[in-house]
Amino acid sequence: MAKRIVVDPIPRIEGHLRIEAVLDENNTIQDAFSSGTMWRGLELILKGRDPRDAWAFTQRICGVCTTVHALASIRCVEDAIGVDIPTNARIIRNLMNATQQTQDHLIHFYHLHALDWVDVVSALSADPKATSELAQAVSPSWPKSSVGYFKDLKTRLTTFVESGQLGIFSNAYWGHKGYLLPPEANLMAVAHYLEALDFQKEIVKIHAIFGGKNPHPNYLVGGMACSIDPDSDMAINIEQLNKVKQIIDDTNRFIDQVYIPDLIAIAGFYKGWLHGGGLGNFMSYGDFPESDVDDFSSLLWPRGAILNKDLSTIHDVDPRDMNQVKEEVTHSWYSYAGGDGAGLHPWEGETTPKPDAVPKMPYKHLDTEGKYSWLKTPRWNNNPMEVGPLARVLVAYAKKVPMIVDTVNYVLKTLDVGPEALFSTLGRTAARGIECKQTAGFMTHYYDQLVANVKAGDTQVFNNEKWDPDRWPSDCKGFGYTEAPRGALGHWIHIKEGKIEDYQIVVPSTWNASPRDGNGKSGAYEAALKGTPMADPEQPLEVLRTIHSFDPCLACASHILDMNGNEITSVKIS
Amino acid sequence: MEQKINVLGLGNLILGDEAFGVEAVRYLEANNDFPANVNIIDGGTQGVYLLDYIESADCLLIFDAIIPQEYDFKVYVYQKEDLPAFIHRKMSSHQIGLSELLSIAKLHGKVPKEVALIGIPPISMKMNVGLTKEVQQLVPKAVDKGKEIIMQWLEK
Repeated sequence: MAKRIVVDPIPRIEGHLRIEAVLDENNTIQDAFSSGTMWRGLELILKGRDPRDAWAFTQRICGVCTTVHALASIRCVEDAIGVDIPTNARIIRNLMNATQQTQDHLIHFYHLHALDWVDVVSALSADPKATSELAQAVSPSWPKSSVGYFKDLKTRLTTFVESGQLGIFSNAYWGHKGYLLPPEANLMAVAHYLEALDFQKEIVKIHAIFGGKNPHPNYLVGGMACSIDPDSDMAINIEQLNKVKQIIDDTNRFIDQVYIPDLIAIAGFYKGWLHGGGLGNFMSYGDFPESDVDDFSSLLWPRGAILNKDLSTIHDVDPRDMNQVKEEVTHSWYSYAGGDGAGLHPWEGETTPKPDAVPKMPYKHLDTEGKYSWLKTPRWNNNPMEVGPLARVLVAYAKKVPMIVDTVNYVLKTLDVGPEALFSTLGRTAARGIECKQTAGFMTHYYDQLVANVKAGDTQVFNNEKWDPDRWPSDCKGFGYTEAPRGALGHWIHIKEGKIEDYQIVVPSTWNASPRDGNGKSGAYEAALKGTPMADPEQPLEVLRTIHSFDPCLACASHILDMNGNEITSVKIS
Repeated sequence: MEQKINVLGLGNLILGDEAFGVEAVRYLEANNDFPANVNIIDGGTQGVYLLDYIESADCLLIFDAIIPQEYDFKVYVYQKEDLPAFIHRKMSSHQIGLSELLSIAKLHGKVPKEVALIGIPPISMKMNVGLTKEVQQLVPKAVDKGKEIIMQWLEK
């Protein structure tokens, strides 16, 4: 008998998110606290390095969003040293960014989030014939919908579940009364879950073509590292462009025929569960520039902020303004030389950890009166903001971007709900699907732009004008932004004598998962959980649903407390 | 048809010895004369995004930092019955571990015929670029063990 060896988990990148929720006697969440329990400090690694290499380090911050950190990084360096990139480079970056976002949303919906709405065990009692009829009604053009297909899946799934090694389906609350789908809808959703995981592998092959390899495609300050030559075997040629086109078409088809119909079908059962709205403040830096990255009027996802759910007023956002985006550390395990409550713009940012303030393990609960998170506390004009798909979709909707208005109205009309339904967990989940459809459309758009450009004889992808650090200002600052799948991402750099003097990153999950600020205002996760009734505190499905709807880029350990501070349950959110 | 051998290095490049898997495949990449059906992949911490490299493999070799139950500082090789049925290994911010990936592959009916894991226990996982001297010294040995396994697969 071989000795059984256990390989323990090793903590990863963003560390862990801990949620503490306080319940009243009716098991409704009264208050919630969000804490990042692992320190990062990438800023300190970058100091003194060559700014042209920064992207290769920043893309390793996150396990899944390599492209967005690389993009924000090269954009901030280009901004600092003052170099314009060729049109093809802009188009290829946009195409790669759209590819990342589309794939990420698809994975998020099916793999991370669907099981908060779909009961896998219930699927085992589905009737394959009724499931086939349902699937054909929901997705009439999708071929995988025969009785035999669902019968076979049900058999495979039953064997899998009966083996007792649930793997992907472990750590869930099967049978929870918060699950509202009939068995047939559950079986259909599980089928699409597996199809989506199979299909998504294709999408990212676009990164390998334009980035030279995948995972971790290559980026380059001043352009892109690939070369384009329609007739060469050694460059991006017609054959590869045709392959890209095929992937884009398949992606759009999958989203239109599977993802969006699933989203609407599932949402139809849950439209009475409109909890999780939260702050009502939303911010987007915008992305997908149609001309220079500084020409904000050309962004396909517009820039702006919404306060208090008021869609009639879009506030201007300027991340370079020293007074707008600031991070404070009143409730964060850091200290600032000038006082923890004084917000600092990232160009003036300080990263001085205060590990002595962190409670020693094991601790029962956080000292939420004092410091309680490794995440800093970013605020825009002193307001906590939600970032991500819902923020982008609302800003675009409020700005009346035609395609977004059409898709949002179609979804609302099909579900027979008003725009106020968007301010919810379900609204956040729907916004991600709406955005995914839009972004897949961008892929086609950028492909067409690229092909037209190449046909016109333009194959330039790199501008070497400022490659040599001798041509840089001796002291310069830059800002680079992107809208990552999870929301507004900013990189701020200070370069001195050709080396990185300071580097500050404010990631989307820091906006959303931030602790309270000095004014006592909650962050987005904290606010979203308040007021949510829980069917069974031992099985906090509702908490998972809302936290997952933000697509947290952290591993979460959620601790539910009763009003006396006794721990009822502890649950991993993954 | 020629079998496809995927060699996957896992780990975070900016967390000290956590980067062992990535550094090992980089070393292997620079020191091998394997044929084209051996694919060497820097998988980073990409989690579910690595599914293709698992499902497309006939034989899968993984390099990774591990915490074994009995902690000796050495190169660990897990193969066949030594390989835990479910390796509770977290690979990404989405917490998709090898166990989850293999279970998805199982549901897809695409589990590699052979799976092997080569690991070392990390000494430091502080945010830092570069392995500790001790772990660095084990890289060539770990890669040699990997090469032996790949050679066995190639001869089949």
